[in-house]
Amino acid sequence: MNKLDEPTVAEQNVNFRQIGKPRTRTDAPGKVFGKTPYAGDYVMPDMLHARVLRAKVPSARMTRLDVSKARALPGVASVLTFRDLKIGTVATDIPGQTGFKRRATDQQILVDELVRYQGEPIAIVAAETVEIAQHALSLIEVDLEPVPGVYNVFDAQKPDSPKVFGTDNLVASYKVRKGDVEVGFAAADVIVENTFTTQYIEHAFLEPEVGLGWEDEQGVINIRSSTQAVETFRYIADAMGLPHSKVRIRGALVGGGFGGKCDVTVELYIALLTKATGRPVRLGFTREDSFYGHGKRHPFIITHKTGFTRDGKITASKIDITSESGPYAFMSPYVLMYATEAGPGPYLVDHVHIDSRSIATNNMYTSAFRGFGATQACIAYEQQMDEAAKVLGIDRIELRRRNLLKTGDAIATGFKVQSAVWTEECMDRAMAALGEKPKDKGPIKYGHGLAAYQQGYGRMIWLHDTAEGWVGVEMDGTVLVRSGMTDIGAGQTSSLAQIAGELLGIDMMDITVYNSDSSTTPLAGTSSASRGLYMSGNAVRLAAEAVRDRLAARAAQHFGSTADDVDFANAQVFLKSDPRKTMPFKELVATCASEGIHRAELAIFRAPFGDWIDPETGQGQVHPDYTYGAHAVQVAVDTETGEVTILKSIGAHDIGQAVNMAAVEGQIEGGVAQGHGYALSEELIYKDGCLVTPSLSEYLCPTSMDSPRIESIVLESRSGLGPFGAKGIGEPGHTPAAPAVANAVADAIGTRVFDFPLTPEKIARAVRTARKAG
Amino acid sequence: MTNRKTLKMTVNDTVRNVEVATNETLLETLRRVGAVEVKCGCEKGDCGACAVLLDGMAVDSCLTLTHTVGTRAITTIKGLGTAEAPHPLQTAFAELGAAQCGYCTPGMIIATQSMLTHDTATPDENDIRHGLSGNLCRCTGYTKIYDAVLEGAKAMRETEAAK
Amino acid sequence: MIAKAKTANDVAPLGGGTNLVVEMRASGVGPATLVSVGQLAGLRGITIADGTVTIGAATTVSDILRDPRMKQVAAVLVESADVFAGQMIRNTATVAGNICCGSPAADLVPPLLALGASVTLRSGSGERTVPLDGYFTGYKTSVRKPDELLTAISWPVPTAKSASRFYKLGRRRGDAITMVGVSVFVSLKDGVCDTVRIALGAVGPCVMRSKKAEAVMQGKAPSADLIAKAAQAATAESTPIDDIRASGEYRKEQVQVLVQRLLTQSLESLS
Repeated sequence: MNKLDEPTVAEQNVNFRQIGKPRTRTDAPGKVFGKTPYAGDYVMPDMLHARVLRAKVPSARMTRLDVSKARALPGVASVLTFRDLKIGTVATDIPGQTGFKRRATDQQILVDELVRYQGEPIAIVAAETVEIAQHALSLIEVDLEPVPGVYNVFDAQKPDSPKVFGTDNLVASYKVRKGDVEVGFAAADVIVENTFTTQYIEHAFLEPEVGLGWEDEQGVINIRSSTQAVETFRYIADAMGLPHSKVRIRGALVGGGFGGKCDVTVELYIALLTKATGRPVRLGFTREDSFYGHGKRHPFIITHKTGFTRDGKITASKIDITSESGPYAFMSPYVLMYATEAGPGPYLVDHVHIDSRSIATNNMYTSAFRGFGATQACIAYEQQMDEAAKVLGIDRIELRRRNLLKTGDAIATGFKVQSAVWTEECMDRAMAALGEKPKDKGPIKYGHGLAAYQQGYGRMIWLHDTAEGWVGVEMDGTVLVRSGMTDIGAGQTSSLAQIAGELLGIDMMDITVYNSDSSTTPLAGTSSASRGLYMSGNAVRLAAEAVRDRLAARAAQHFGSTADDVDFANAQVFLKSDPRKTMPFKELVATCASEGIHRAELAIFRAPFGDWIDPETGQGQVHPDYTYGAHAVQVAVDTETGEVTILKSIGAHDIGQAVNMAAVEGQIEGGVAQGHGYALSEELIYKDGCLVTPSLSEYLCPTSMDSPRIESIVLESRSGLGPFGAKGIGEPGHTPAAPAVANAVADAIGTRVFDFPLTPEKIARAVRTARKAG
Repeated sequence: MTNRKTLKMTVNDTVRNVEVATNETLLETLRRVGAVEVKCGCEKGDCGACAVLLDGMAVDSCLTLTHTVGTRAITTIKGLGTAEAPHPLQTAFAELGAAQCGYCTPGMIIATQSMLTHDTATPDENDIRHGLSGNLCRCTGYTKIYDAVLEGAKAMRETEAAK
Repeated sequence: MIAKAKTANDVAPLGGGTNLVVEMRASGVGPATLVSVGQLAGLRGITIADGTVTIGAATTVSDILRDPRMKQVAAVLVESADVFAGQMIRNTATVAGNICCGSPAADLVPPLLALGASVTLRSGSGERTVPLDGYFTGYKTSVRKPDELLTAISWPVPTAKSASRFYKLGRRRGDAITMVGVSVFVSLKDGVCDTVRIALGAVGPCVMRSKKAEAVMQGKAPSADLIAKAAQAATAESTPIDDIRASGEYRKEQVQVLVQRLLTQSLESLS
């Protein structure tokens, strides 16, 4: 009770019946019994099968395209090329809620003249069987004349470089100017400068992209697909010259997304072939298609020049950021914005100077990936903090402690964060859980590493994000929720059931959630940007509260009390002041039904809206709010072979309020494993634009043999903007894991590998180099 | 071209006659006949999503030519248990949050069952790491899978002991 | 794994199929007839008799792991089988297939070479047994004729005064393709190295024995210095390439590290 003197701890909402507990998710039974239909599990009578012909080279001019033999092949229903397209281009922007679309960043749907990346689609085929479609691809005659391409961001910025995007290969650029960085450096006793690089990585969701489309009796193109974003129906309609009302995306439970299923992929090909043939069309990407067919995580090059006083206070932070966009914009400008905003990390810095840019090349295009650019930013600033600690001779944790943002401080963009900033407590809890470092054994050296972070959740406020949600009660007292939110495995629908259940006193397992249908479930935006629970959860909360208020008013009348005295639990309605006064929920509902009291509500939740940050200074608000925390890792490094074994991996995060504690831990644990892979083994290798790792035996995600038990420490400040004070955790759990591994490895070997991933070879070489240098 | 032949197959205790091309994989056959609970993740044996039991032994169905299955009984996740009569591993995976997106789950549970049958009924965490290293999971970081396997194995031993 | 005939346009033996099925489907072509060796019950099994271990061509990697006798008669093969792919592949892939696919990174071949294994090749005209050392003639080539089937693998039960080790260096721990695989076998007699076999994987066109390294040790009393010299000889004899997993230079360094380490561990276990 005496916690009231801690202003950041909200005391409301602590007496939950379902919220905050580790509950079995509503979607779990279907999954463990093999009953959940994924998008690829649907078939229809008379269905055709589609395949995509992709360019084998990354930069070329198409001088001839002849599909006549493919069209003539028996069993082929349709072969489409750019010549068959009415419009030819499709948006690469966020399918947001505002109706506005970025200009001049569309991509060609099928190669018209120029091939800009390896794997760019040239033709799509629909046939009676997959085998026939595949055979048809081999009959398409294409002449591709090589055109000089550009395969790294340095060359791409040279004046005489081939131009892939616009007139200068510049996809986006930003600035942050806070205080006066020269004044800050003048005040510094020590200046530390380092450059950190990150690699291309792949989402590697277990379910490759897949969908099934058909045209219905109203002329609506329906597409059942594996997507994070049903809102892409707008872009598909635009690309086909159809009214938005004539394209409908119906999702299914998705076999993993991680940002990789936000953009339009199979859906548009399916829509085009469905329209062309008048028959249902199924297109399932092979794993190889998936490697070539969706945007990857951006490689970044980040240089930090940081001024410190002798006692470790940061005086100035100058940061230069370059990301690789590939030939099309997609999420690159936004990802760059996240990296820029997060640039100096969760530290209070008065003098900040950031220049950032995203550069086009003929390597694979890049787009959303869990953490957006904030993760790459963290990989740089947290390694920089460890390097600075070494130079300053100050303990790494202590150096951070002296600089951490506190609740109410302004971040790099000048915005004062309103919610709790509990980074320090997270850092201490994570380090305490790490325990003692084992003693080195011969060539095996042990290391500890930590990374703290700041990650925005929700969309950038100038995107004016909204989400709708519907809650209704059937006459028998059963509860339905409708939300456009896609469920990519994080428990999105389950959490909505839990929220509605908490408010209406019905067990979450008894609630039915309809989701992910762009036409019949109220649109809630994409499951990305750690916004799912924040946005759709709030919308469902508002709707459930409205229904509850009306039911409570009627119950109050029945009990002869006031509405605020009425409570709902265990499918019963009762008075808080006298819990013996009770009635079954379904009886109350039946009464309401007979009296015409509205038992349903469609609510809209609006995130804070605002304007773009100042383009000259980068000052202003970018995100509605931020999540803070820290991750600690213990590794053993074989200094001769360079192999790394992660022994302990502990994430401590203030997530505001857990809705389903098991799901929160699951988000942290899964994000962490992706961070382990990011740091150590995952890498898409492009040689002159050609991918040389297009399989899961060459692209190395962590297996169980690579994965220690991951520990989650969950703190609840109840200060977030999500339902009941929740903050986003989908991305934050991931963001600090990779730099924590890097810092642990550097601690073990006494030197640092600055280029991700930290392969055995790079580590062994760094050890040898350091030994030679003495 | 490829020959087709009608084979007698036993899938989850149901015997059926299926016409199969000689180059067809068990994954293709199973999904074609409606056993879509068997998931396709890579078709190269790199991910384990398509694992099924052949006479109780887990194999990647994408690497198994249907013609080589012979008389061996095929068991998919649906053959292990149902909502009405759940297998202890299914219960543990559901209750402990070991299924997130759920796409790896059928293969993961199948591989676990095979490991518990053929390698050890009393696995420790390292046994689990070893037994499941051919099943990629991209959502859970494996932690809750370790928990679920330990718990499920314990429940299986208790069921066995009660018999 | 497969036992694929070198020029098998029409007939090929199929072991577990974990390589061949993928290859066939990727290329779209395959032999018209596959002989499913993996399902020939008569070829599956492990026998230990008269000081010789023999495993049939249909014996899977899991069979090796699940036979408790194997730890006594082929601990080094068990070590390798343990880090071989994932469970489903181990349940399916055959030891013979791992030999016949001819990959320079084949994980089971270095330990079999270290054990001094031989293979039995059978054709319509008869049967012959050839040492595994010398079986490979180059990248994915061997002395096996197209009409020959690899039916069995055998090796002598190691003597008490011997030790062997295997290590697989991969870019990740689980289900990885080997960057460098090393296996060593040492036996001591009267305080000097009697039999020494050092096998190297993924550092040449095929898995190979480093005869020069072995010669350094042979007949000498083991010492740290001698081991270092043997490791150097093995490094000199290796001819690794650069690929996506590692550079040739790193592989060479690791031959040195691992040969030295495994010889040291083996000899320490004997002292």
